[in-house]
Amino acid sequence: MLKRLAPIELDQGIKLHMIKTDKFKTNLIRVYLQRPLVREEVTKNALLSMVLPRGTKSFTSSKAIAKELENLYGASLSSDVSKKGERHILQFALQLPNEQYLEEKHVLERGLKMLNEVIYWPFLEGDGFRRQYVAQEKDNLQKKIEGRINDKMTYAVERCIEEMCRNERFSLHEYGNAEDLKEITYDSLYHHYREIIGTSAVDICVVGDLDEKEAEDLIREYFQFKPGVKKIIEREEIEFAPKTVNTVEDRMDVSQGKLTLGYRTHVPFESHLYYPLVIFSNILGGGPNGKLFKNVREKESLCYYIFSKIEKFKSLMLISSGIEFSNYDKTVELIGRELEEMKKGNFSGEDIVSAKNAIITSIRSMTDTPGMLADFYYTQAISNYQDSLEEIIDKIRKIDKEAIVAAGEKIALDTIYFLREKKEGR
Amino acid sequence: MKINKMESKSLKETIYTTELENGLQVFFMPKAGYTKQYAVFATNYGSNDSRFIKPGESEITSVPDGIAHFLEHKLFEEPEGSVFDKFAHLGSNVNAYTNFTSTCYLFSSTDRFYDNLKLLLEFVRTPYFTDENVEKEKGIIGQEIKMYEDNPHWKVFFNALKAMYHEHPVKIDIAGTIGSIGRITKEDLYTCYNTFYTPENMILFVVGALDEKEVFSFIHRSIGDEAKKGKKVQRVYPKEPNTVVQSIIEEKLAVSIPLLNIAFKDNKNGLRGRELLTKDIATKILLEMLFGRSSDLYMKLYEEGLINDTFEHEYTGEIDYGYSMLGGESKNPRKVLDRILDYMQEMKQKGLQKEDFERVKKKQIGQHVSYYNSIEFIANTFVPFYFKGIHLFDYIEVLKEIQFDTVQERFLEHFHPQQCVLSMISPK
Repeated sequence: MLKRLAPIELDQGIKLHMIKTDKFKTNLIRVYLQRPLVREEVTKNALLSMVLPRGTKSFTSSKAIAKELENLYGASLSSDVSKKGERHILQFALQLPNEQYLEEKHVLERGLKMLNEVIYWPFLEGDGFRRQYVAQEKDNLQKKIEGRINDKMTYAVERCIEEMCRNERFSLHEYGNAEDLKEITYDSLYHHYREIIGTSAVDICVVGDLDEKEAEDLIREYFQFKPGVKKIIEREEIEFAPKTVNTVEDRMDVSQGKLTLGYRTHVPFESHLYYPLVIFSNILGGGPNGKLFKNVREKESLCYYIFSKIEKFKSLMLISSGIEFSNYDKTVELIGRELEEMKKGNFSGEDIVSAKNAIITSIRSMTDTPGMLADFYYTQAISNYQDSLEEIIDKIRKIDKEAIVAAGEKIALDTIYFLREKKEGR
Repeated sequence: MKINKMESKSLKETIYTTELENGLQVFFMPKAGYTKQYAVFATNYGSNDSRFIKPGESEITSVPDGIAHFLEHKLFEEPEGSVFDKFAHLGSNVNAYTNFTSTCYLFSSTDRFYDNLKLLLEFVRTPYFTDENVEKEKGIIGQEIKMYEDNPHWKVFFNALKAMYHEHPVKIDIAGTIGSIGRITKEDLYTCYNTFYTPENMILFVVGALDEKEVFSFIHRSIGDEAKKGKKVQRVYPKEPNTVVQSIIEEKLAVSIPLLNIAFKDNKNGLRGRELLTKDIATKILLEMLFGRSSDLYMKLYEEGLINDTFEHEYTGEIDYGYSMLGGESKNPRKVLDRILDYMQEMKQKGLQKEDFERVKKKQIGQHVSYYNSIEFIANTFVPFYFKGIHLFDYIEVLKEIQFDTVQERFLEHFHPQQCVLSMISPK
């Protein structure tokens, strides 16, 4: 297992998390900028993640950047936005092969120089970003937002969240929305960039074969952080008691119906009931041994996929499946029945053992993937959680049935979303 | 039991291998420091193999489309229920997949590796099909087929195969159709199982922080003393003309923007081993030089808004067929096709640049090394290469040695406009 090192504060609100290991062929550097998930900036943040990699001070076009990355032995550079609860994370990542496998030196240094430029030294024209880049990326983001319907499985889950949380910030999609995108100008985007680049808390996770001191020196040498008072992000609201179940239907020309059930769990991630809740969800729909898979798929042949998952920060549980349109009522009823049975404690010691082992396996497995390791430490950092992997595993092992049932009892159905065929098909 | 050791200096990795008495090839790659262990038990049998002559017979047997995939689903069934529960008890993830040429059963674990391996070896080697459990599966696979019907990426890809191939079974959907799986019987499943799930037609690949002596002796104890059957199945593939079926294929789905795949059918077939690997690598370098992020074409099409960052390219090189495929989202797929064909024409006159070749080669070397971070990549790439007579460790060596000339030659023989098809998915 990995040693957990305390983060190093490089500057006010700027932390370095070093995860030292020699088992990978690569070094990974991830930079996370933390923003609040709010309508005023979510679309702008998404657009920034697309404009910044178009050109930097020294590499003024995507083509120049691509050439440099090829010269750096296929180093990958990515920038993206994601949602962590009601935080909007602007993230950049650089992964390059470790020099011991290459015939060149200073590949890492050159990579860091570029990563720094992508974040802090964009290619400027006059007093802002290059207009052509902004216009092209606005068009690309527009298509990305419209393109959400293309992946029906994910779309059904996102739509359920949108409807369930429609008066909460969590309903915002990480790409933002098309109306706000239209309003963004060159000036407003650059102004926003200048604003967030100094006021966002920054976390840097390095996974690779570097000593802590070595990593610190390199980051200090190659990164030019912008000073500023860092924005504090409020904790999510999670207490919503649904009075009636909200049902929502969308119609599209599809072959298979996509069903998503959204639940409020009322269990904050800080609570001692959080891991019991994760176990509850795993027994219900964590995989092929789950109640839903066994009964809805194997016994009733209603679906090919069905799963349940927990949204940590926002305290939601989501169940998702693909079914025949005509099996809607039957499936909703069956899922409800399985959930009720579990709330009554009708699951075995064997179910608990399997669920715990599955969760422990997935926690341990993270340590074999650099990106997952970085993300794990980052999530720990923003939730102010100090436990090491082994401590978490130890806590999971000790959870008893009582706690699992206690967590399950708090779960309440809020919204049923169904994506189904166009009207005439019925 | 003779164990061979193969080391790669370029990768700083080792693979041990042995052949059991019954003909099964076993491979093990140690991965120090890794928490996960991973094992794949694979048969060289996929959706392309629906016509064959059984060992000792002379007549061709034909089975319904989608049967290899159906068989994969049913192998998880046991008299006392599903084998999922046993893996679940150990906390490990068991899974399987079927593609055109192979079916792979795998698990990943972080604890009690040998208990997991024992389960894997048992369930794959003990089929249990009944009329009832075969019928039940038809509803589940029917929903899997419907899920793919709503997946525009899958549709655009398969339509391209349909447009390229007249006869070759690669044009048939891996899962079959609701109609074809409806005809599958338990007798069909046993026929396919007995024909293709023989030790000589299978391999076992294990990777993780384990001891090689223990791995091999465990496997040997579990299945080592069965006798070799020694009779091989004969696969029947129809003769495939060099031409394409149709140059444009279009379908409408509920999407926001058209999707396109442009494919070039490869007519240089019948290679295996190092020759096939060289062709594979040369083509991949070529695609990256012509259509990668640093190419003139990519940048021009991107800046004109004709493509976006979903634009990708890949080469698939099997023994008996192959194709290059480009694709992504575009507001105007026909225009992208025209531009690509013009560009190919232009490049064939102008010639490729050596500087681009060197840079792309560096990129591919670094990327290939990086893939060894993932034990899943290692196992899942080793298997299909092995079935084509290629050892995965040769990849980096051939890549390092490949010359500009080879890539130039490949450019001249591949990518003829008459070998090209455009597949489009348009918004409904």
